[in-house]
Amino acid sequence: MTMRNLLLAVNGRDHHVWAAPSASLLDVLHDELGLADVRYGCGEGVCGTCTVLLDGDPVSACLMLAVQAVGHQVVTLQGLMRPGGAMHPIQECFLRLGASQCGFCTPGMVLTALDLVRRCGRPTRDEIRYALVGNLCRCTGYTKILDAVEEYAAVAEPPGGESAAP
Amino acid sequence: MTVVEQPSLTRGEPGTGYRVVGTSPAHHDFVDKVKGSLRYAADWRLPGMLAGRVVRSQVPCARIVSIDVTRARALAGVAAVLIAADVPSNRIVELASGGLAELEVAMPVLATGRVRYLGEPVALIAAASQQIADEAADLVSVEYEELPGVFDVETALADGAPRVHEAGNTLVTWEIHSGEVGTALAAADVVVEGEYRTQHVEHAYLEPEAGVGWVENGVVTLRVSTQVIDHAAAIAGILGLPLSKVRVIAAYMGGGFGGKEDMTVEPYLALLVWHTGRPVRMIWDRQESLLASTKRHPFIMRYRTGARSDGTITGQQVEILGDAGAYPCLSPRVLFAAAALACGPYRVPNARIVSSAVFTNNVPASAFRGFGAMQVVFGYESQMDMIAERLGLSRTEVRERNFLAKGDEIPTGERLATSVEVGESMRRALAMLGEPPQPSGPGKRAGRGVGCNRHPYGRAIWFRDRASAWLTLQADGTMLIRSGITDLGAGQAASLCQIAAEILGVPLDGISIYIGDSALNPPAGGTFATRQLYMSGNAVLKAARELRDRIAPVAAEMLGLPPGELVFADGTVSPRRRPEDVAATVSPSLTLAELAAACERRGVHTSHLSVWRAEAGSFDPRTGQGDTFPDYTYGTHAADVEVDVETGQVTVLRYAACHDVGRAINPMRVQGQLQGGAVQGLGYALTEDLAIEDGYPQSGLFASYLTPNSCDFPDVQVDVIESGEGKGPLGARGIGEPPIGNVAATIASAIHDAIGVRPTQLPMTPERVAALLDGPARRGPGGRDHPG
Amino acid sequence: MVSAPFDYVAVGSYDEAVHQLARFGDDAKIIAGGQSLLPMLNLRLAKPAVLIDINGADQREPSVEGDLLRLPALTRHRTLLEHRLVRRHCPLVADAVRYVGNVRVRNRGTIGGSLAHADPAAEIGSCALVLGAQALTRGGGGQRVVPVRDLFVTYLTTALDQSEVITDVLIPVIRPRQGWSFQEMVRRTSDFAIVAVAARVDLDEQADFVASAEVALAGVTDRVVLAAPELLAGLAGTAACEETVAGVAAAIAESVDPSSDVQASGDYRRRLVRVLSTRALREAFGRATGAAA
Repeated sequence: MTMRNLLLAVNGRDHHVWAAPSASLLDVLHDELGLADVRYGCGEGVCGTCTVLLDGDPVSACLMLAVQAVGHQVVTLQGLMRPGGAMHPIQECFLRLGASQCGFCTPGMVLTALDLVRRCGRPTRDEIRYALVGNLCRCTGYTKILDAVEEYAAVAEPPGGESAAP
Repeated sequence: MTVVEQPSLTRGEPGTGYRVVGTSPAHHDFVDKVKGSLRYAADWRLPGMLAGRVVRSQVPCARIVSIDVTRARALAGVAAVLIAADVPSNRIVELASGGLAELEVAMPVLATGRVRYLGEPVALIAAASQQIADEAADLVSVEYEELPGVFDVETALADGAPRVHEAGNTLVTWEIHSGEVGTALAAADVVVEGEYRTQHVEHAYLEPEAGVGWVENGVVTLRVSTQVIDHAAAIAGILGLPLSKVRVIAAYMGGGFGGKEDMTVEPYLALLVWHTGRPVRMIWDRQESLLASTKRHPFIMRYRTGARSDGTITGQQVEILGDAGAYPCLSPRVLFAAAALACGPYRVPNARIVSSAVFTNNVPASAFRGFGAMQVVFGYESQMDMIAERLGLSRTEVRERNFLAKGDEIPTGERLATSVEVGESMRRALAMLGEPPQPSGPGKRAGRGVGCNRHPYGRAIWFRDRASAWLTLQADGTMLIRSGITDLGAGQAASLCQIAAEILGVPLDGISIYIGDSALNPPAGGTFATRQLYMSGNAVLKAARELRDRIAPVAAEMLGLPPGELVFADGTVSPRRRPEDVAATVSPSLTLAELAAACERRGVHTSHLSVWRAEAGSFDPRTGQGDTFPDYTYGTHAADVEVDVETGQVTVLRYAACHDVGRAINPMRVQGQLQGGAVQGLGYALTEDLAIEDGYPQSGLFASYLTPNSCDFPDVQVDVIESGEGKGPLGARGIGEPPIGNVAATIASAIHDAIGVRPTQLPMTPERVAALLDGPARRGPGGRDHPG
Repeated sequence: MVSAPFDYVAVGSYDEAVHQLARFGDDAKIIAGGQSLLPMLNLRLAKPAVLIDINGADQREPSVEGDLLRLPALTRHRTLLEHRLVRRHCPLVADAVRYVGNVRVRNRGTIGGSLAHADPAAEIGSCALVLGAQALTRGGGGQRVVPVRDLFVTYLTTALDQSEVITDVLIPVIRPRQGWSFQEMVRRTSDFAIVAVAARVDLDEQADFVASAEVALAGVTDRVVLAAPELLAGLAGTAACEETVAGVAAAIAESVDPSSDVQASGDYRRRLVRVLSTRALREAFGRATGAAA
């Protein structure tokens, strides 16, 4: 199987990687690009720990091939950090409200929640629950995660504003 | 030494007078988690790193006729294929209870001659890529001769049953006797009998078992997701190496829950690393973890409880059978905890408890948050509700008449030394629910339930537990904490920082903590048994106080004050302010950096290692009397449910949890434990089941293993009592495990209230509830039907 | 565990896809959304030699032509949820797709992929079946129309040829005096359905009684199926009162013989068929009369 040279746009930067055509986006992001915030959790697409934003939309990186991501924008949790190392406001809400215990589900949760707020503005608590149903958490019981997303939605800019940019 | 620490606390007032303890900062590893920059066990890459994988048995009970690895070894890119003969010492002997009572049964690292459960490791592979390792696994050819197996405890105990091990199918039986239970039951006004059955469940941490190993300076070094770095000794034994040649580093875990308490990847990783001489990474497939990692013991519990007509218990007889699976692991301790807690938070003057761990050819069961003391809650709380129903008493009334109190004796003959606030927790849990639930429409019934528990924290006393901590005040006033503690994600490490910050006044962001390294950290024991806040918290508290006591005289001399007048806070040492000082403008103070420099000049060490030892004791397994656990955490949950009578679907409308945590070091994290534990318990109660049949799980997919999600479970309301009498630091009690225990009983109680029939089997699936509804209908007290 | 190695080719048209399928034969698999295929590859349950990526084969949006809603096969589930044409002209599908997977699945999964995968518990398949949808395909023999009722053959198997690919799904738009309902029983939100029922009820032109009704069942056998028409005949001419509907639902439940698995026994599934068929027919009738009002 011939390796391919792929140009991947990840977190606003271009990366050239060599990968087999059958390499998953998850494995290339985690192993080749060293992005520890995209994680193997199940390989079935049900747990959410490999969530990335593809052109702004949450997808399971374990259910995409790396080659399929060529020509698209991939954003991981680390891509939300501001220049200078400051956290994105949604990350600050998660931190302050205790929405992260073991932290393994956190990248997927944050990205999915961010996408929801960007699209909906002020989602209800039930809408947040529904949007996050595919992101499993075993530690928190979800309450503080829902609290953090509600709090972020209250301070975020409306859809179409600056924060809607990837 | 009387350095000012805090004013006296009135009971129940959270954290009064503490500056750092009792607050909820978000710090240390939590910052990295939210940033996504924390490196878990799989996030480690070394040049030349190979991919490792375990090859597992395809049948649950068989003789191995032959293993052929030639094709696997020949595959391009394969660096090693190991089988049993390649393991220097192919035995793991656990003797988990300390050898008090159980059979000595060895578990092979790689199966030799026999496989005893589906998924038992048979071979190991290291290859240049995961893909090649997976392909090589398929090329390992094992010929099995299947043997008759046993797949449930009752079959395993029957005469003539096939033996899982030569020594017999009963690994251990614990017996606790107090008083005369036969007489007590005969004299009772009512005797309630119940049989309760629970299921295999899976930890399902989001981070699968993983690690990277390498050899460095002749030392086999493993960086793994593990709760216990002390397994380094077992690894050394397996490899035939001196203890000094094995090092285990625990990465911050993406969840543990007891599933990373036994060794997971460690022995296999170590063998591949040692054999190839190259770095190896091993990550278990989720499906592999579901199949073959240790599970919670299914229990069969048979209770006979006698009570007078006023509801007071006269005696209780309990039989517990736990399915240990194919190898011992920690089963002896789990079934011991079950026995010790089988009577719950109630006065039971006459008791006979028999608790056995039984081998089967199922996947081994071992530690899982709750650890035996969890399953029995379903038993004893169901009995209390049934007694209430039989006697026409309310559920709260019958409990109040039987709650233990400080100073009471429990069936092992011990007296409870700390306050028992279970009654208060029950009052508060029910208060949080408010008005009773009403069904939302025709075809629905609503009900309310309650569940109380007593859960131990700390290891069984006869283990003579200890933990050490090493604190260093650095020249610039910052601090290092070094501890062998491992971190499950519940703030184990962060809590130590809060305690040190409280005592020594170092700002939280001035503390760096290094944990979980068997070579570089002083030993703290594993993170299990809800012991770390108790043990390492006390160790850090002790070390911090001793360090402060050593350096305070230097500060006292510099400030011209007695040491008792000094306050360590906010990075400085300053005089304690009295009310009459309010007019003073500038008080002399020292920064910690200045103090550290002064200590250096005077030759006073600012680095201190301290060991904290728990109380010792002994237990006699023949009489079932003696010391068991250091202390307990008491709590109550309450829930409102709605049952759809057509489908049997149970919806939890509201859920409340209240526990006495003694002292909340970090209130937000305490809430997180209550919420997380309760929801994990709701999965156990309602949806999770590995459904193993004849040794085979009925589904291998994570999609089929139904852990709670964000939609179908309510927010858990929490309330926390701080009675201040815990044996942990500053009066804290452990809280990691207790909140998972109450849930199944609470939900069963609510369903019983709604439909008048008691579920006695877990999980309480819609199908099972529908079957209960189809049976002879009995309306229990308090059941509410829709008026329409 | 990772997938066995395979090669990959992305095509820019359906004709190219057909060509590649013919070229590689059984060694090739189409990848569209990948939400059903990739898990099988990741678990090494399938080991194709080549994946043919058709995501770039079609850029069209949903459209309405006469009394048909034309959904390009590559229409993502999320579009089915949000697109105004789907919500207006095919509310049954827009409603049922809420039960499909989660945000990530709906961002990638496609209607063509769902139908081609032929999962026996598929929500979209049951809706397409009950609405009398058609699949347009392109294959070695050119184009053809496959009614969805002829599409699902057995477990994960369709009537499509090896080198045939679905290009469009045509669904009759909702008519006046037509009602619909989708009912599903799941253990957890977003899980695969234990049993799902999709119902369509058409009222008589003049009066508020049933002219015809159709029920599709998911999760009861090796494929999504329609309840036998004669079982629903008893509804015609009635006002779908509780007793009548209960009788029809009981008959539908009697007609199926679901097998047991880890999630539910056959008997319980049959119970669910009865309960959910009752609820679906009642709700569909209610919508039909509400729409007529």
